[in-house]
Amino acid sequence: MEAGDVNTDHKDHECNAFVQAAVERHQAPLLRYATRLLHGDTDRARDVVQDTFVRLMGQPPSEVDGHLVEWLFTVCRNRTLDVLRKESRMRTFTEGQAERLTASEPRPGSALERDETQSALLGLIDHLPANQQEVIRLKFQNGFSYKEISRITSLSMGNVGFLIHTAVARLRKEMAAQSK
Amino acid sequence: MKTNKISPDDPRLTAYALNEMEPQERAEFQQLIEDDPEARAAIDSIRMTAQALGAALESESAPAVHRQRPELPTRGKILRFPQLYYMVSGLAAACFALFFVYWQNQQPEPRPRHYVAVPAPRHEPVKSAEKEEPAKEQFVFVARPASVGPGQVSGPIGPDASATMNTAPAGPTNEIPVVAALPTPLEQTPTGPTGEAPVVASLPPPPEQPASPALTLPALNKTTPMDAVANSSAPVRRLDANVGSVVLDPFKVEASENSTLKDNLATGGVSRSWGVVSHLPPSLTERAIGPVDPVVVNGLSAVRYSEPRARLFGGIGYVGDDLRRNLPPSEFNTESYSQVEENPFLTVAHNPLSTFSIDVDTASYANVRRFLAARQRPPRDAVRIEEMVNYFPYHYAAPLPGGAPFAASMEVANAPWAPAHRLVRIGLKGREVSDAARPTANLVFLIDVSGSMDEPNKLPLVKQSLQMLVGKLRPDDRVAIVVYAGASGVALPSTRAAERSTILAAIDELRASGSTNGGAGIQLAYEIAKANFVPGGVNRVILATDGDFNVGTTSEGELIRLVQAKARSGVFLTVLGVGTGNFKDAMLAKLADKGNGNYAYLDTVEEARKALVAQAGGTLVTVAKDVKIQVEFNPARVQSYRLLGYEKRMQRAEDFNNDRVDAGEIGAGHTVTALYEIVPVEGSESGAGSVDPLKYQATKEAGTRVASISDELLTLKIRYKEPTADVSSKVEFPLRDSDRRFEEASTDFKFTAAVAAFGMILRDSPNRGDATLGNVISWARAGLEDDAGGYRSEFVELVRLAGETAP
Repeated sequence: MEAGDVNTDHKDHECNAFVQAAVERHQAPLLRYATRLLHGDTDRARDVVQDTFVRLMGQPPSEVDGHLVEWLFTVCRNRTLDVLRKESRMRTFTEGQAERLTASEPRPGSALERDETQSALLGLIDHLPANQQEVIRLKFQNGFSYKEISRITSLSMGNVGFLIHTAVARLRKEMAAQSK
Repeated sequence: MKTNKISPDDPRLTAYALNEMEPQERAEFQQLIEDDPEARAAIDSIRMTAQALGAALESESAPAVHRQRPELPTRGKILRFPQLYYMVSGLAAACFALFFVYWQNQQPEPRPRHYVAVPAPRHEPVKSAEKEEPAKEQFVFVARPASVGPGQVSGPIGPDASATMNTAPAGPTNEIPVVAALPTPLEQTPTGPTGEAPVVASLPPPPEQPASPALTLPALNKTTPMDAVANSSAPVRRLDANVGSVVLDPFKVEASENSTLKDNLATGGVSRSWGVVSHLPPSLTERAIGPVDPVVVNGLSAVRYSEPRARLFGGIGYVGDDLRRNLPPSEFNTESYSQVEENPFLTVAHNPLSTFSIDVDTASYANVRRFLAARQRPPRDAVRIEEMVNYFPYHYAAPLPGGAPFAASMEVANAPWAPAHRLVRIGLKGREVSDAARPTANLVFLIDVSGSMDEPNKLPLVKQSLQMLVGKLRPDDRVAIVVYAGASGVALPSTRAAERSTILAAIDELRASGSTNGGAGIQLAYEIAKANFVPGGVNRVILATDGDFNVGTTSEGELIRLVQAKARSGVFLTVLGVGTGNFKDAMLAKLADKGNGNYAYLDTVEEARKALVAQAGGTLVTVAKDVKIQVEFNPARVQSYRLLGYEKRMQRAEDFNNDRVDAGEIGAGHTVTALYEIVPVEGSESGAGSVDPLKYQATKEAGTRVASISDELLTLKIRYKEPTADVSSKVEFPLRDSDRRFEEASTDFKFTAAVAAFGMILRDSPNRGDATLGNVISWARAGLEDDAGGYRSEFVELVRLAGETAP
C-alpha cells in the first residue's frame, strides 16, 4: 500500500515505519473521535480513519513532524465533514445513540466506585451540545492545547476558550448536584 | 479597596486553570485574582473537574480497531442501494441532456449573455469611406447589456430580425448588444420569432483576401492593415462567457451607411461595424469550448499590432462575469472602496513640509482597466493616481552597488494641464535582483476557496497565476498552500520547489466551497511560514482572495493586527485581489499595507503574468522597507504645491523621523513615482485658500534664510530601512528648476503626466485644469516610443475606451 511521492527505497522504508508508528499510537483515539463526529457510525469512521492514514502516507515525515497528532485530527475532522456534507444527513445527536456509545465494551480492571462516577460523568458529557463535547474531548481526552483545538476545528481561540469554560462550568455544577 | 471581582462566567478562569495562557497574560491574571478568593476557589474547582474529566474520558472505550471481514456483507448492502440510485439518476440525467440538446437545436439560443451572432461576411462591394477590403473576419463580441436591458437585447435584432433581414438597419443609435459567431450546431438561420436574441450563423470560410478590417475608430481616419489580423484566418468560435473565457468588448467603430458588415448580416439591423481585438489566453478559454483559435480583428489602426501587443489586449478583456453583474448596474454589487479626498493645494508658508509613505501597489490601475473594459467608468474612489502612475515601469537610473538600495531622480517641467504651474516628478528605482541572485524563498500561498471564489475570474485565475509563479522558483525555494473557507487547512505542506509536479497538482486540485473564515487561515499560513523561515531569505505569505471575509469570528481589526505583528517578525505579505461584484478593495489594500507587502489586482492572466512572473523579483524581494519621503519647499520659489495621489499615505512631519511609524516597501527593480504640481512664486494665485496672518508668531512670509539656496525649488529627503533593520537611514537631494518646458521633457515624464491627468479626469478632479481625454492621448504618445511590455499602448486604448463611456 505504498502511496505518495517517495524518491528512494530508503525513504520508502522510513515513511512506512513512520506511518506504522503513527497508526499504532493514534488509530484508536482517532477512531473514537471520528465515530463521535459521525454520530456513532463506526463503519464510516473506520473508513475515514483509514483515509486519514493514507493521506499521511503521502506526506514526507518531516512535514508533519512536531504536530503529527494535530494534523491527523484536523485531516480526520475535515474528512468527516466531507462525508457528512455529502450524505446530508446531519442528524441531531439523540439520546439513544448516546447510550449505545458509552455502553460499548467492558472496561477491564476498574474499581466499581470509580466506574460509577466515571460513567456518570461520561453520561453528563454526552448530554452536552455537540460542539462543546467535541472541544471537551479534544482537550481532555486527546490532550490538545487551545491553540491546536482552534486550528483543528477552525474556531477562534476565544470561541474555544468560551466553549470549554461553559462546558466545564456546567459539568461542575451537575457533578456537584449528582453527588448530593 | 475592592477591585472588580472576576465573574464566574469569565472564560479566563478556565484558561488560567488549564495553563492555557501566555506568560504575560497569566502574570496579569494572577495579579487580578490575588484579591479574589472566590475566583481562586473557582479555579481550584475547575482543576479538579478537569482531572476527573481527563480520567473519565481516558477510560472511555474506543470502538474496536480491528477491521472485521464479516463487515463486508453489510457494506455491500449499504452500497447496493446507492449504486442503484446513481444508475437511475445517471440515466435520467442522460435522458434530460439529450432532450435538452434537441430542444436547444430547435430554438435560437436564449443566452442570458445576449449573444447575437454575426454571420460570416459574404462580401459585398462597399461604397463607403472604408477601404475596399471586406471584413473577412468573424467577429466575436460579448454582450454589453449595460446599455441595453435584458428585454431590449433583441432590439434591432430580435423580433425584427426576420423583418429586417437584408433591409435597412435599425436606427443608428441602437447598439448591437452582442455578436458572436457560433459553431456549426446552430447553423440554421437566425430567426428570432420569439423575440430573443437570435443566435447566428455560419462560420466563415477562411478569408480569401488578406485580412484587414474595414472598421475604423471614429477618431482615426485611416485604416492600416494589421499584422496580427493576418493570423486570424481561422474561423471564430463562440466564446462562452458563462465559462469565463476572456471576451472582449466591441469597440464601436463607425456608423457607415453602407457598412459591409451590415450588408452581410443575415440578421440585419446592424448600423455599425464592430471591431474587436482578442487574443484569448488559451488556458482560460479552452475550458469553455475546447481549443479556440485566436481571433484578432483589429479596428484600432493607430496601434501597431505585433504579437505581444495583441496579447496584451487580452488584458483589456475581462471575464464574462461582469456581464452578469452589469445588468442592472450595481444591483448585486457589494464592492467597497474607501473614500479618497484629494490632496488640495497647500501654501508653502504654512505647510513647508510634505511627508508621505511610498507605495508600489498597482491594484488601482488593473481595477480601472477592468471597469473600462466593461464599458463603465470606475467609481471615483477606485482610482488612485499614484497606483496608476506606478503601474508602468520607467527608466530611472539604477542605484550604484554598495550604496543605498535605491536611487532617486527628479525632473521638472510645465504641468501640461496647467502650463502656468510646474510639475515635479520624483522617481525612486529599487536595486535589481536577478532571479539567480534572489535569496531563497519560503512562500505560503493562502487561498480563499470560499463559495464566492467559484467564478471563472477568481479561483481559476488564481490557480493559473500561482502555477506561473511556481514556474519561476528555484529548486531550493519552498511552497506551501493553505486554504481557507468554512474550514481552513493545509492543502500542501511546505514543499521544496524541486517537487514542482506535486505543487502544481496541489494547486490544480483546489476547489471552491463554503463560506469564508479568513482569520483562521491567515494564522495557519503565517505559522507555516514561520516554521520554515529562511533567515535572510524571502519569507512571504501570498494571499489570493476577493476580499470577502464575510463570515467568521475574526474582526477586521484583529486581522490587521495579526498581519502587522507577523510583518514585524519578518514574514511579509503579498495580496492578490481578484473578482468583481464583491471585491473588497479597501480591506485588501489595508492588509497589504500593514503587512509590509504589496497589493496587486489580477483582472486577467496577463496581469498575473506581469505581477508574478515579469516582476516576480519585485513582488517577492523587498530591497528597502519603511520608505518615507519628506519634501521641503522653498518659499522663495514656490507659492503652493499639491501632491498628486498618495492621499492614503500622508504622514505628519514628525513621523518622518520616527522609525516606529510604518511606511511602504520597495521591491527589487520597482520604480516609485510621485508628482507634485507647483505654483511658482511668480504665479498669480496660489490655488490654495488664504490664511490669516499669525498673531503670536512671526509671519512665515519672510524670505529664505540663506541666499545661496534661494534658487533651489525644493529638497527631497528619503528615509528607508534595510529589509531586516530597525533603524532608518536618510538621503537628501536638492532640486533646482531649469525652466524646461513640457515639450522638452523626457518621454517618461510626459507619459507619467498623461497617466496622472487621466486619473484626474476619471476622478472628476477639480484640479485637472485643461486635461481632456484627447490631450491625455497626445501627451502619452510621446511615451509610446519606448514601450517594453506594451503596457503603454494598452493605456492609450484604455483612454479611448474611457472616451466612449459616459462620465
